[in-house]
Amino acid sequence: MILWLLKRLLQAVLVMVAMSIIVFVGLNVIGNPVDILISPDADQAERLRVIAELGLDQPLVWQYVEFLKAALQGDLGNSYVFNQPALQVILQRMPATLELAVIAVGFATLVGLPLGLYAGLRSQSWLAKFLMAGSILGFSLPTFWIGLMLIMVFAVQLGWLPSGGRGETASLFGLQWSFLTADGWRHLLLPALNLSLFKMALIMRLTRAGVREVLPQDYIRYARARGLTEQRVISLHVLKNIMIPIVTVIGIEFGSVIAFSVVTETIFAWPGMGKLIIDSINVLDRPIIVAYLLLIVVVFVWINFAVDVVYTLLDPRVRLGQKGSAR
Amino acid sequence: MVQAKAQRDSSPLLAVRNLRTSFQVEGRWTRVLNDVSFEIGNRQTLAVVGESGSGKSVTAMSIMRLLPPATSRIEGEVLFGGRDLLKLPSEEMRRIRGGDIAMIFQETSLNPVYTIGFHMVETLRQHRNLSAAEARREAVALLDKVRIPSAASRLDDYAHQFSGGMRQRVMIAIALACNPKLLIADEPTTALDVTIQAQILQTLRDLQAEEEMSILFITHDMGVVAEMSDRTIVMYHGDAVEEGETRQIFAAPRAPYTRSLLAAVPRLGEMAESPGPSRFPVIDRATGAVVAPAASGSVPDGSAPIILQVEDLVTRFDIHGGALGGLTGRVHAVEKVSFDIREGETLSLVGESGCGKSTTGRTIMGLTSPNSGSVRMEGREVGSLGRRELRMTRRRMQMIFQDPVSSLNARMTVGTAIAEPFLVHKLGGKAQARDKVADLLERVGLRPDMANRYPHEFSGGQRQRISLARALILDPKLIIADESVSALDVSVKAQVINLMLDLQSQLKLSYLFISHDMAVVERVSHRVAVMYLGEIVEIGARAAIFGNPQHPYTRKLLSAVPVADPYQRGQRRIEVSELKSPVRAVDFVPPNREYREVSAGHWVQLADN
Repeated sequence: MILWLLKRLLQAVLVMVAMSIIVFVGLNVIGNPVDILISPDADQAERLRVIAELGLDQPLVWQYVEFLKAALQGDLGNSYVFNQPALQVILQRMPATLELAVIAVGFATLVGLPLGLYAGLRSQSWLAKFLMAGSILGFSLPTFWIGLMLIMVFAVQLGWLPSGGRGETASLFGLQWSFLTADGWRHLLLPALNLSLFKMALIMRLTRAGVREVLPQDYIRYARARGLTEQRVISLHVLKNIMIPIVTVIGIEFGSVIAFSVVTETIFAWPGMGKLIIDSINVLDRPIIVAYLLLIVVVFVWINFAVDVVYTLLDPRVRLGQKGSAR
Repeated sequence: MVQAKAQRDSSPLLAVRNLRTSFQVEGRWTRVLNDVSFEIGNRQTLAVVGESGSGKSVTAMSIMRLLPPATSRIEGEVLFGGRDLLKLPSEEMRRIRGGDIAMIFQETSLNPVYTIGFHMVETLRQHRNLSAAEARREAVALLDKVRIPSAASRLDDYAHQFSGGMRQRVMIAIALACNPKLLIADEPTTALDVTIQAQILQTLRDLQAEEEMSILFITHDMGVVAEMSDRTIVMYHGDAVEEGETRQIFAAPRAPYTRSLLAAVPRLGEMAESPGPSRFPVIDRATGAVVAPAASGSVPDGSAPIILQVEDLVTRFDIHGGALGGLTGRVHAVEKVSFDIREGETLSLVGESGCGKSTTGRTIMGLTSPNSGSVRMEGREVGSLGRRELRMTRRRMQMIFQDPVSSLNARMTVGTAIAEPFLVHKLGGKAQARDKVADLLERVGLRPDMANRYPHEFSGGQRQRISLARALILDPKLIIADESVSALDVSVKAQVINLMLDLQSQLKLSYLFISHDMAVVERVSHRVAVMYLGEIVEIGARAAIFGNPQHPYTRKLLSAVPVADPYQRGQRRIEVSELKSPVRAVDFVPPNREYREVSAGHWVQLADN
C-alpha cells in the first residue's frame, strides 16, 4: 500500500515534469507575448527592456531551469497581464469553477443514478424507453446550444433566473463562494444544469447497463431466494456491484469539468478558471497557462487516487499495488 | 388428536400438482414445464435429475416463484404445509423464501463484494427478530455446525477468501439459519472436486438427520442421485418422464429416456473385466431399444512405437507480492513428471483442481515453457527444435479444450475454422481443404453441408465434435484432450467418447486424456497416471490402478467418486480435508521421490520418510 502510494506520487511528479516541458516548448513555438503585450508603436529600447524584464532573452533551456527553480519554491511566475503571482490569480478563480463542478457532477449523479436504476429494472416500460431515447439527446446536443436555449427560455422569456455572473457571494476559508447565498444559487442553477446534462445521460446509461448485467447473476437470484426484500436486493446487492464503472466515470467527468468547463463558463459569463485560461491563451500569458496546466495535472492525479481508493472500498477483490502471478 | 398428528405426518410436506411454466420469448409464450407433479414427504430427499434444458432448475424456481414475473407464467398448484404457494401474496411468499424453504446453489452464488458475515446476518435479521450482535453470535454457531474451522474469525472474510468446499458450507449454514422444513439444493456440488463433493454430500445428509429437513436435490449426476435420494424424478424436455423410488429407477427403469440416460452413466468398477477402453452402449431415447451394444475398443500391443515421451518435466510459476513486489513463492505446478504414450494408446492424467494435470498438457504442447525436463515427440526433442521443426512437430500433436464455445471463433464458419490449420501449415490448396473438411465432418458424425454454419448454431456436443475435426485436419498422432468432455451432458458425453474411441481405432491415434472424472477415465484409458500436487503419485495399467490402488491419495480419490448404485448409499465416510496447495516458499527444494513397481508397469510413489 505504501509502495503503491510512493509509486503514484512518483508518477504524478513525472507527469507534471513532462507536462511543463511540453507546455514550455509548445508555447515558445507559437508567437511572442511581447508583440501582444506592448503597443505596436513602442520603440526598440522599450521592447528590449520588457523582454529582459520578462526573462525572454534567455535561452529556452535556461528559462525552463529558472522556472523549475522558482516552481520548487512555490513560485510559478507572475502573470504578464495581471502582474500578480500566476498561482494566486488562478486560485482566486478556482472556487467559482470548483463549486460549479461539484454541483454539476452531484446533480448528474443524483438524477442519473436513480433514473438509470429505474431504466435497468423496468427496461420494458415506456418510461424507461423514453429515458433512454432522451439520454441520446443529452449526449448529442452541443453544450453551447443547450446553454443558449436555457438562457433563452429561463432568463429571457420566463425571466426566472439570471443569465450570467456569479451573483452574491459569501466568504468561507477566505474565498468567495456563491453556493452560500440564495442569489448565488439562482446564478449557479443554469450553468450547473447545462454542464450536468451530458454527464447525467452518461451515468444513466452506465447504471442501466450495469443493472442489466448484474440482475441475471447468481448472487442476485440467491439474495432473492434468501427472502430479502426487493428494496434490499436492489439497494445493497445490485448497487454496490455496479458502482465501479460509475465511480470511474464520475471521477473522470469531475476532472474534466474542472479543467474544461470553458464553453459553459463563457456562455454564462461565469468568472471561473476556464474563462481565465482562454483569455490567457489569447494574450499568451505564459505563466498563467503553465501554472494552470500543472494545477490541472495535480487535480487529475488526486481524483484518480481517490477513485482507486474507492475501488478497494467497493470491491474487496481489488488490491492496490499487488500484482497477481500471471499464468 | 393423536390421529390428527398422524394425519399431518403422513401428508406430504410439499405437493406439486400439474406445474406448468411458460416463458415469453420474443412475444410468444413457450411452455418449458409440462404438468409436472410430485410430492416430498417429511425428512425425505427427492432428486430431480435431467440434462441441461430439461427444466429441473425451472421446477425449483417455479416453486420458489423466483422467475421474473413479467416474462414467465406459472400454473398449477404448489401446496406447502397446506397452502398454495402460487396464490400467496408476494410479501408472504418472500417470508417463506429463506425461512421455511431455503435454497442453495452452486458455491459461486455469494455476492463477491460482501463478507460472508454480512450475508448471514442479513438473512438472520430478515427472518428472525434479532439484534445485530445476536445475529453475529448465531452466525458463528451456524458456521460451527457446518464444521468451518475457527468460525468466529472467518465471519469478516469475503467469499473469494474461501475454497469452493468451504463456500458451499457457508451457503448451507445460511440455509439453516431459519430452521427450514425444506431445503432446495440446485446443483450444489457440480463445480466441486470429487473429494470435496463427497464431504459436502455427507454434511448435507448429516444435517438432514439433525434438523429433520426434507431436501429437493437438483442434479445432472446419476451418481449423486444414487448417493442422496429416496425418490427420484427424471426430467426430459420439460416432462417428468419417470418418477419413483430411487432404487426402483436404478434397478428397473421404465421410461426409454431413463434407460438411455443410465446406459450413458459410467460406473466405477464396471470395467474390471475388460482389457481395453469400451464404448458406451447406445440406446434409442424414444423406444428404449439397444441400438449398439457396448463394445471394446482396441488395445495396442507392446511393440507399438512410442509416440510421446516425457521425462522429468518441471514447470513452476513465480508469485510476486509483498511491499516491494519481490518473489514470494512459486507454484510447483508440474514436478518431475515422466511418462510415455504408445501409438493407439490412451493415457489419462487424473487429479483434482490444482494438481497440475492441465499445466502438464499445456507444457507438452509448448503453450507454457517448462523449467526443465524433456518432451520427445516421435523421438525428437521438442524443446531443442528450431521454429520450422517446432511447427512440424506441433502438427503431430493437437489439443482440444473443455470449452468449445470459447475455443471456436464466433465470427468464422466452422468450415473455415476447421480448414484454417490446414491452410496455415500450407498442406494444400483451398479446394483440397474443402474436401478434407467435408470428409472430417462426416467422420465426426456431422454433415458436410454444416461447414457453412457458425458455431452458435451448434449444441455443445456438436461443437466438441467440430473441435475434434479441427484437431484431426493436420493428421496428428497425438491428441491432448484437456477436460474435453467434462462440460457435456451425460448422454452427449457418452457419444463424444464413443466417437473418440472410434477415431482411435480407425486412425491409430494416441490420447493424453486429462480429466478429473474417475468414471470416465476408467472407461476410456489404457493406462492411468494419478497426479497430486504436481507429481505423479501412481501410474500403471488402468485395471491395476482401479483394481489395486496403492497410493493413499489414489484410494481416497476412488472412494470419493459417487457410486451410481442406491444400495451402497451412505456407506462410505470420508474425513473432512481441504485440497492442499502446490505453492511453496522460494527456497523450497522438492524431495527426491522413489517409486516402487507393484506389478509390471504399475509404479507407485513411496511415502515421505
